[in-house]
Amino acid sequence: MVVLLATTALVTPLSCKLEPRVPELVYSPNSAEIEKNDDLAQDEAAQAQLEGLLQFLFGTPQAPSYLSLQGWGDDEFYPDDWGYDFVATDDDWWDRLVDSNRRAYARQIEAIKEGDFDAVTESYEAPGVWDAWLDALANKPDDPDAEFDEGGSWRDYAVSIFENYYPTLRDSAELYRTQCFHCHGAEGGGNGSTAEFLNPRPRDYRHGTFKWTALRDKSRPRHEDLFRILAEGIRTTAMPNFRRLTDAQIHGLVDYVRFLAVRGETERLLISDFNEDERLSTQMVEENYQLVIDRWHKAADLVITYDGEVPRATPERIEHGRYLFTTPGEEGGANCVACHGTTGLGDGPSVNDPDNSVDDWGNPIKPRNLQSGTFRFGRRPIDLFRRIYVGINGTPMPEHIGQQITDSDGTVRPLNEEDVWDMAFFVRSLSTEPMESAGTSGPDREHSDH
Amino acid sequence: MKFNLFRVFVVLLFLAVPVLGVWTFVDAERWKMWFPEGVTTYAGEIDFLFDIILWMVAITFVGTEFLLVWAIWRFSKKEDGKVTYTHGNHTLEVVWSAVPALLLIFIAFSQMGAWSTIKMNFPDEGPYTVDAPMMEVIAGQFDWWVRYPDEEGNFRGEDVIDVPFDIHVPVNTKVVFRLKSRDVLHSFFVPKFRLKQDAVPGMSIPVWFEATETGSYDLICAELCGWGHYKMAGRVHVLEEQEYEDWLSQKRSELYAND
Amino acid sequence: MSSHAPATPLGIDPAGTVHSSHEHHELGFWRRYIFSTDHKVIGLQFLFTGLVMLLFGGLMAMAIRWQLAYPWTEMPLVGKILFPETGGVATPEGYTMLFTMHGTLMIFFVIIPLLTGTFGNFLIPLMLGAPDMAFPRLNMIGYWFWWPGIVLILLSFGAEGGGPAAGWTSYPPLSTIETAAPGSLQGQNLWLLSLTFVGVSSMMGAINYVTTIVKMRAPGMTYFRMPLSIWGLFISALLQLFALPVLTAAGFMQLFDRVLDTGFFTPTNTTINGLTPEAGELAAGGHPLLWQHLFWFYSHPAVYIMVLPAMGFASDILSVNARKPIFGYKPMAYSMAGIAGLGFIVWGHHMFMSGMNPAVGLVFMTATVLIAMPSAVKVFNWLGTLWGSSIRLNTSMLFALAFVSMFIIGGLSGIWMACTAVDIYIHDTYIIVAHFHYVVFAGSVLAIFGALYHWFPKMFGRMMNETLGKIHFVGTFIFTNGVFYMMHQLGIAGLMRRTADPYAYETFAHMQPMNQFISICAFCLLFWQVFFVINFFGSMFLGKRVGRNPWKACSLEWVAPSPPGHGNFDRELAVHHGPYEYGVPGQREDYCPQTVEIDAAPTPVEEPVLA
Repeated sequence: MVVLLATTALVTPLSCKLEPRVPELVYSPNSAEIEKNDDLAQDEAAQAQLEGLLQFLFGTPQAPSYLSLQGWGDDEFYPDDWGYDFVATDDDWWDRLVDSNRRAYARQIEAIKEGDFDAVTESYEAPGVWDAWLDALANKPDDPDAEFDEGGSWRDYAVSIFENYYPTLRDSAELYRTQCFHCHGAEGGGNGSTAEFLNPRPRDYRHGTFKWTALRDKSRPRHEDLFRILAEGIRTTAMPNFRRLTDAQIHGLVDYVRFLAVRGETERLLISDFNEDERLSTQMVEENYQLVIDRWHKAADLVITYDGEVPRATPERIEHGRYLFTTPGEEGGANCVACHGTTGLGDGPSVNDPDNSVDDWGNPIKPRNLQSGTFRFGRRPIDLFRRIYVGINGTPMPEHIGQQITDSDGTVRPLNEEDVWDMAFFVRSLSTEPMESAGTSGPDREHSDH
Repeated sequence: MKFNLFRVFVVLLFLAVPVLGVWTFVDAERWKMWFPEGVTTYAGEIDFLFDIILWMVAITFVGTEFLLVWAIWRFSKKEDGKVTYTHGNHTLEVVWSAVPALLLIFIAFSQMGAWSTIKMNFPDEGPYTVDAPMMEVIAGQFDWWVRYPDEEGNFRGEDVIDVPFDIHVPVNTKVVFRLKSRDVLHSFFVPKFRLKQDAVPGMSIPVWFEATETGSYDLICAELCGWGHYKMAGRVHVLEEQEYEDWLSQKRSELYAND
Repeated sequence: MSSHAPATPLGIDPAGTVHSSHEHHELGFWRRYIFSTDHKVIGLQFLFTGLVMLLFGGLMAMAIRWQLAYPWTEMPLVGKILFPETGGVATPEGYTMLFTMHGTLMIFFVIIPLLTGTFGNFLIPLMLGAPDMAFPRLNMIGYWFWWPGIVLILLSFGAEGGGPAAGWTSYPPLSTIETAAPGSLQGQNLWLLSLTFVGVSSMMGAINYVTTIVKMRAPGMTYFRMPLSIWGLFISALLQLFALPVLTAAGFMQLFDRVLDTGFFTPTNTTINGLTPEAGELAAGGHPLLWQHLFWFYSHPAVYIMVLPAMGFASDILSVNARKPIFGYKPMAYSMAGIAGLGFIVWGHHMFMSGMNPAVGLVFMTATVLIAMPSAVKVFNWLGTLWGSSIRLNTSMLFALAFVSMFIIGGLSGIWMACTAVDIYIHDTYIIVAHFHYVVFAGSVLAIFGALYHWFPKMFGRMMNETLGKIHFVGTFIFTNGVFYMMHQLGIAGLMRRTADPYAYETFAHMQPMNQFISICAFCLLFWQVFFVINFFGSMFLGKRVGRNPWKACSLEWVAPSPPGHGNFDRELAVHHGPYEYGVPGQREDYCPQTVEIDAAPTPVEEPVLA
């Protein structure tokens, strides 16, 4: 009997195959917002209606999809293909995407070209492309080189599945679950299981506000802005880069993040606009939805550009930057000193001002220590130029362009682009000494005297 | 002497250990469960040293396991209970102390050359040295950043180049870099380079390698650095010398780009 | 009642406790089973507590294996308890917590207490012919000092941010800076406090074992007539005496870093997760490597604490069931001492890649490879013991043989790790995981099973069921190898430890099927222990009653009744020879108990009952 049992034991693990279950995510209602609207908070039926409405507009995490409003098709705006339409119409972006796909699926593409179709095996975390391949394999004609689809052979078509792969919102939602969900939460509320231990906290997309943009008017970020965040990460925060994914996957995640932001923002508007009289009327819903979409559309027109070459720093420019930086607003400077302090350590007098120590999401915030050498959205001159130009969305860092300043000769004028460059150069000069890397030689740069 | 199925089964069970054990090692390469191809000048040396030990270990392993199996088989069937009454053998003890000791000391000494090449003797000529490294690699929770110096070779200048994730190096060049951490412990591990070095906050540790083949290789964090440890990836791109120069100058020009 | 008077230990009269039993003074339930000073009861308390912790640690291992086989999917059974907020899917920080706690529980709450706490307490007085430990009250306090440790470590699961998650090695700054990891909020404080209590508990035990062994041996029991189990326990107790203070001190330094804002291990100018050690916020100026040195100065010897007693048990079981004297008794004892001695100068081999001066690595390497020498001597002597023997293939023997077979694997794979150049590649890969699990699980835990089957009759006066025992053995043996053997190859292919989701790397993507096989073996391994649980608890009440010496063994514990009463022995003891006199020519019986002179007419203590 012992022998028998043991033999069974030996065979079991070899033959056993487990089918793991993936629990379904759900979009939770934005209860913090609902609390703020007394009418809605007491009306459970309306809350249920709102939830159903949001599902009608945006689907579920398993089947995310925008509801297309009338007229969008006429403008050739297909929100589900928002990112694809952007990438596919820009040759640079598209070439990079194809390159990246070719690298990632080199094994599969080579196998198809060699005709060894059994060797085409699944890549980790590429559900969409795999399903498309299985579909194509099922329709394989006997001769893979016979004409198949609009002039191309089946083999070319099979290769293009991998080369031109662009994830759907649904694929990206799946990737979001493994890559982003544990910090940002299912509905992008910045409330995943890891969120509360992170400093700064993960972004809550539902405000629609994103800090790191290159745009005027604190507008919604462009596709490129979000792509850059995902590709480079935000240094010294828990937001890592996702370069280990393919370009297509990153584009897909951008799409899904935008989707969650649109969904969350619409939800917020519907909640705040809800009142006893109008309730959730079709017109009110449609208007708000359109409003949110428009905000995201506007972004591309508002990018901050500088006409001409990026200037180089000179001692005079740095000195002028220092003057603007260190002179308080009431004396006609750019008032940076109020928060960042005279030496840029982030220890200015208004640090303890309660208005200045909380950001739009209600999280504590401190002025950046400009000596640390870390600039979260890049340290190139143009990055700092844009930062000073427009400020940082959702934080006390204000827009500086056009601010009234007083020159040393007493003229009062709005701060112009050249002034912004000078300040950028001054800020860059502050950070040349240390790295944020710990401990090497030199004084303790992080030490502050307050 | 009666046939005892259980005894046979036990002997087979113990016999399976060396048989399957050796088979899985022999067959491992076929399942890609073996060394990934080495692409640095010292990778072959490390693999060779591993193989020396592997052969010694394999012979000892198979030998002792077979002796054990044989002993179980041969001496578990006695009915009369007669045993060899002995408390040991001095000569045997001396032999099986001295032989392993000599082999082990041989193994230890065989390691020293490679170890000092990799970790102690840094290139003192060539484009990059410990005092003028090619780059700084800075580990942080949970990403790798690499910093190339400005055109004067200064790592603290305004025009240094910071790149996340992707490390670009030229092929067939002795690359020396300094490894730092900005927060907790990390470890720089490129399996195909056979290179590993912890990054320690407060230390600036010199590391060198010379890649022999172009390509892109996974860089992995090999020291627990927190909840995101598993996703702390990077990639080392080994380029032709000219490609590397082009890439670097392109990066330098991008610094003042106006996009 | 016995009139045997043991050597008075250190001039302290142990009568205070021993007498009470002599006077037939019935103790209440509490004094008898809970706050008992009887070494046998304390040993069993360690045993039951340790087995429960083994189950906890094992379940955590299963959770780890699930994540590695099927990352980011719902864990069956334990998932909903561990990760309620994600519907049973592991969170990344939860995964780091899991392997941290798995390691901590298994080392400090399972292996060390089971080996030294259980068997040290139970066997030392019995094998030496002593009525009890030298300090029975200290012994009791030792056990109860373990409990705050258990309570604290279990509480840490519920701490804000979850349990500690800096690895069982708790390397700073990850462990010292509160913001570095969720588990470093409050969980790490509890971890440190818990380990301090465990350390104090072990220390009390170690003092007791050493004193008892030095002072309370029965007349005629010289050092070289002690069974090898006692040698193993003796040497590991000495290791604890010398190494534990260092860990305790280091633990307090880390606690001070965390609570009092000292800076022993925190380097200057570190910003972690938004927290900067500024003046007044955190002190700095320390060095993370200091902790590694202090920690491994304890924890490397601790590895030998986890295997030396197991070697002793295996030697005893092999000799008894091979019906043959142990081969090379003195070399066996010397090699244990050699392992222990060398064990103090090899801690640096954990730090080859740490940034420590590479020249120092060469010294540590040479010392480390030399440890394989005494280990080899032990293996050859075990083989010598089997040679020309007459093997009884009962369950305990099977486990002891498995211990030898597995220890060969674990010992040999250690040579790679000891070698600096090769270690550059394999450091912190799965080959390390394979190595230490072969030593600690396939070695020590299998030896513990063997020892339980062997000494169960002495503990409870009943036999364990042999058929169930053999079923338990076969499955355990197969699955143990199924789990750990292929980890060697995974490691050689470069797979990293402590990685929640390795398959996202191109280098590791093809390893998922192998990890699924390993995980299924692991689930089967845990499930298979059902046979042990049924057998163990069933036999306690239903097993066949036995006499004093069911295995016909020579050492002193088999002279005592099964189970022994208070004071252990009911007759005068005099030891005449070593513990392994089996198959002495010219004797009627094939064994000669230590209390009986070899030349005298063989008079077995009692007609044994054989299974």
